[in-house]
Amino acid sequence: MADENDNDRIDDNQKPEKMFTLKKWNAVAMWSWDVECDTCAICRVQVMDACLRCQAESKKDSYGKQDCVVVWGECNHSFHYCCMSLWVKQNNRCPLCQQEWSIQRMGK
Amino acid sequence: MITLSQRLKQKNQNDDSPNTRAPIRDRLLVKEAQEMSQLLPASCSVNYVNENDLSKFTLIVQPTEGYWEGGTFRFDINVTEEYNMVPPIVKCTTKLWHPNISETGEVCLSLLRRHSVDGMGWSPIRRLNDVVWGLHALFTDLLNFEDPLNVDAADQFRHSKEDFKLKVMEYVANYARE
Ligand SMILES: [Zn+2]
Ligand SMILES: [Zn+2]
Ligand SMILES: [Zn+2]
Repeated sequence: MADENDNDRIDDNQKPEKMFTLKKWNAVAMWSWDVECDTCAICRVQVMDACLRCQAESKKDSYGKQDCVVVWGECNHSFHYCCMSLWVKQNNRCPLCQQEWSIQRMGK
Repeated sequence: MITLSQRLKQKNQNDDSPNTRAPIRDRLLVKEAQEMSQLLPASCSVNYVNENDLSKFTLIVQPTEGYWEGGTFRFDINVTEEYNMVPPIVKCTTKLWHPNISETGEVCLSLLRRHSVDGMGWSPIRRLNDVVWGLHALFTDLLNFEDPLNVDAADQFRHSKEDFKLKVMEYVANYARE
């Protein structure tokens, strides 16, 4: 469980390939009908912006990294990938609907 | 309290290098502390240990109805650096006779459970405000005799509500007077 999630983590040196293969329009289509999901319920920042952690870190080291992506679960709830990858280590459920968490897609 | 968090907010915004090990917690707390103070139940108040640290405070509950009416109950709340991936640590520092709070101050509230199997435990979408209302509700709506932490208190209630009530009042008189 812990190992699996560790592999999932966004790391500057080893970003999962699949993150870059996702199509942007997918995310846009999502917004049009699911406006309530535009804020990440974990860090309370808009999912289209960098998460609170990435904001804090880029502020600190001024690299200005903006590779903070959005992840959608099978339940259609969306969060920052950074936020969700931390949470699934505690509990592999969607924080909003409590369903078992599985990733539907990722993107920006 | 509103002015305090507003002041801290300004301070955080003006300070380019916040000397903190927990930037996420502290950023969340600026908003959550303010929300908590605005939505605080009438029977509750909050005291900060150190006015520059939003992560440690005391919640004071003074129930105006129910078995614990007239008592003043204090809860120490510690929001650890891992917040909001983990719930705050809560300890009741007033001795009381309650099925869901042990005499040593452990609090049984599902929201505060770090690991939950039933989906009722902590979730990062929760906020300090939820914790405060949960603790407040332990004296009213969430009072639960079915799954007690203080088994003796729950057993006593089952056998004699009068005895239970007397013991609660005795504890309030001895330990929970303001
Ligand atoms: Zn987030
Ligand atoms: Zn991020
Ligand atoms: Zn969900």
